[in-house]
Amino acid sequence: MTNDKPDESMLNEVPEAEILTRRRSFSIVWLVPLVAVIIGGWLIYKAQSEKGPTITITFKTAEGLEAGKTKIRYKDVELGQVSAIKLSNDLSQVVVTAELVKDAEAFLYENTKFWVVRARVGVSGVSGLGTLFSGAFIALDPGKYGKEARDFSGLEIPPPVTTDVPGRHFFLEAETRGSLEIGSPIYYRKIPVGQVVSYQLADDGQMVVVKVFVNAPFDQYVYQNTRFWNVSGLDLKLDSQGVRFDSESVVSILIGGIAFGIPNFALPGPPAAEESVFQLLDNIDNAQEQIYTVKQKWILSFNESVRGLAVGAPVEFWGIRIGEVLDVRLDFDTQKQKFAIRVIIESEPERFSESDAAADQAQRKQVLESLVQRGLRAQLKTGNLLTGQQLIIFDFFPDAPPAAVVWEGPYPEIPTVSTPMEEISTKFMRILNKIDNLPLEQIGNDLRDTVNGVKQLAESKDIEQALQNLSATLDETRQLVADFRTNVTPGINATVEETRRLISDLRTNVTPEIDATLERVQQSLVSAEKMLNADSPLQVKLRMALDEIGGAARSLRLLVDYLERHPEALIRGKGTPK
Amino acid sequence: MNIGSQTALNNQMIGCHSCHLLCQRPGREAGNNLKCPRCGARMHLRKPHSIARTWALIIAAIIFYIPANVMPITTVVSFGKAQSDTIMSGVIYFIHSGMWPIALIIFVASIFVPLLKLFILTFLLISVQRRSGWRPKDRTRLYRITEMIGRWSMVDIYVVTILVALVNLGSLATINAGPGAGFFAAVVVITMLAARSFDPRLIWDVEELPDDE
Repeated sequence: MTNDKPDESMLNEVPEAEILTRRRSFSIVWLVPLVAVIIGGWLIYKAQSEKGPTITITFKTAEGLEAGKTKIRYKDVELGQVSAIKLSNDLSQVVVTAELVKDAEAFLYENTKFWVVRARVGVSGVSGLGTLFSGAFIALDPGKYGKEARDFSGLEIPPPVTTDVPGRHFFLEAETRGSLEIGSPIYYRKIPVGQVVSYQLADDGQMVVVKVFVNAPFDQYVYQNTRFWNVSGLDLKLDSQGVRFDSESVVSILIGGIAFGIPNFALPGPPAAEESVFQLLDNIDNAQEQIYTVKQKWILSFNESVRGLAVGAPVEFWGIRIGEVLDVRLDFDTQKQKFAIRVIIESEPERFSESDAAADQAQRKQVLESLVQRGLRAQLKTGNLLTGQQLIIFDFFPDAPPAAVVWEGPYPEIPTVSTPMEEISTKFMRILNKIDNLPLEQIGNDLRDTVNGVKQLAESKDIEQALQNLSATLDETRQLVADFRTNVTPGINATVEETRRLISDLRTNVTPEIDATLERVQQSLVSAEKMLNADSPLQVKLRMALDEIGGAARSLRLLVDYLERHPEALIRGKGTPK
Repeated sequence: MNIGSQTALNNQMIGCHSCHLLCQRPGREAGNNLKCPRCGARMHLRKPHSIARTWALIIAAIIFYIPANVMPITTVVSFGKAQSDTIMSGVIYFIHSGMWPIALIIFVASIFVPLLKLFILTFLLISVQRRSGWRPKDRTRLYRITEMIGRWSMVDIYVVTILVALVNLGSLATINAGPGAGFFAAVVVITMLAARSFDPRLIWDVEELPDDE
């Protein structure tokens, strides 16, 4: 269009554009921003609705953690991401801020645990190797329903048992921790079935409470009468059967372990409830012993020396142990100016069976009182004459002065009898009585009569006669012996001489022949042995011959078989196979 | 006045976009609802609803521009370690690792150019709507630049698609496209469409139609 003016005539020939009547009021292009708004709005809504809680976790170190990269996972499902890592105000800890997804709200209770999963090498195994490539992540163990929380304190070591593992927790009370560690195995019949979860001092500081976890389904073998014992380290036994080493496993040597089971004599009781408390026994031998849980304490007071009565001395009733001595102490009553020795004993009622086990406390009191009325007393007794150890026995002393059970005071008091002097004196009395009852006079009279009889016999004439006869007999006897010596002895000498000669003959003539015979027998035995040797030519030939005979027998059998099936072969021959 | 005085518009003429037949415009009242007598294509003096369409597309592009930059454009999974990157975090990564030229290219192609296009088109629309007579020649040049550079923003999308296809080494390394890539592609395409729907002749109409349309 460089011309000044277009040609008029040309323009007139230009056709006129046709008019369209269709008209649209709304341009469809506005759908594009509408869609954009919808998508944008949806994105914003999604981001907002998926935005979960922001939590903070404190750790000792941020090793392996990276803001914006470290994930928070549960069962390897991503639940969030670390957004910031800062030091706490006092620089002692690291505060990790993490943004979680919305679903994670359901896990955030105050007992939710967080820990960093990184590669770890421990005695009980290697874990978290995958994080060497993927980098550390924070794992969580969802807490049980409780107070909601947003600030957590992270664990430095992963908890050995997470809440999603089926099983049961139990508490074990032990005197010392021993060599148990968190993660120490629990064995049932030498199968590892659980772990030590934690241990802590009891509130009063008097024992260690070990929390253990037994995995399902093994937790069903924890009964109310189950016993737990320590299997840490090696069990070395030296007894009449020699030296024995025993250990549950190598792991338990290193980090200790606990085993459980029911004693051989017991039957499984009802199953133990979650978080039941058990005693942790020192070893399997303790576990196999009877344990009496019901204990009753009593006071006995003695007014005599208790030398030889030690704490732990047995308390027996008719020779059966029913308890032990807990304490021996001397009391002085300033008003009465009297000493008394108070012995506290502990009886274990479970040791004896009662016909009426359901008797209640009041009934028991009554029974005891009536027993005491019938003479039940405690008494000191020497148990070992050599060491002088004493024990306490209960027995019935119907002659004892009447006494009653004193129920006042810290423990009920059972009356005692002061033994030794009384007992010894009664025994003496009995011996004296017996001596007293002997018929001494009669014995004296009888003795006198006997002596008289003997005297009469010695003085009689018969005795004299008898003595004279005896001397004559002796003379005759002497003569007889002299005869024997002169007549018989030479004959005997000759016989002995002959016998000696015969023997010497035998020796000179017969012995060499016997020697030669024996030699020959030996030779023949040697040759026989050679012949019978497995590799002797005879044996070999014999075996070959036997083989030949065997072969012959086999072919004979074949022939017979063949003939049986084809009798005509005898005449026609085998013929040609078809 | 000088050069622009003789146009189809002020000569009551109209050209067909399809067969380029020059026609006479029947009258003002017919508006833009015309048909080419030869090929039957719709005829219009200016692109119909150019301003409204461009506005609609620009608004859509602005909306999409936000998720395109906020959401990750790629997710690199290497040795089980997943890392998501937005466009900007990629640029920052390259700056930190000292690769300034690459960072510059990505920044220009993926952030600066789309933003520039949006600004230029918005400015052109506003200036046209306000019937501004300010430097029409420069504004037309701006428009031409916009149309020309627009397609280069797609470089990012191409790189992402090629990476996703190439780097697929199982657990060793895998690259996945993030949702941001889709939005970014939408921004680029929509701004290109917006640039096309804008009619640069509107810039010059101020001189021809002092008060109308």
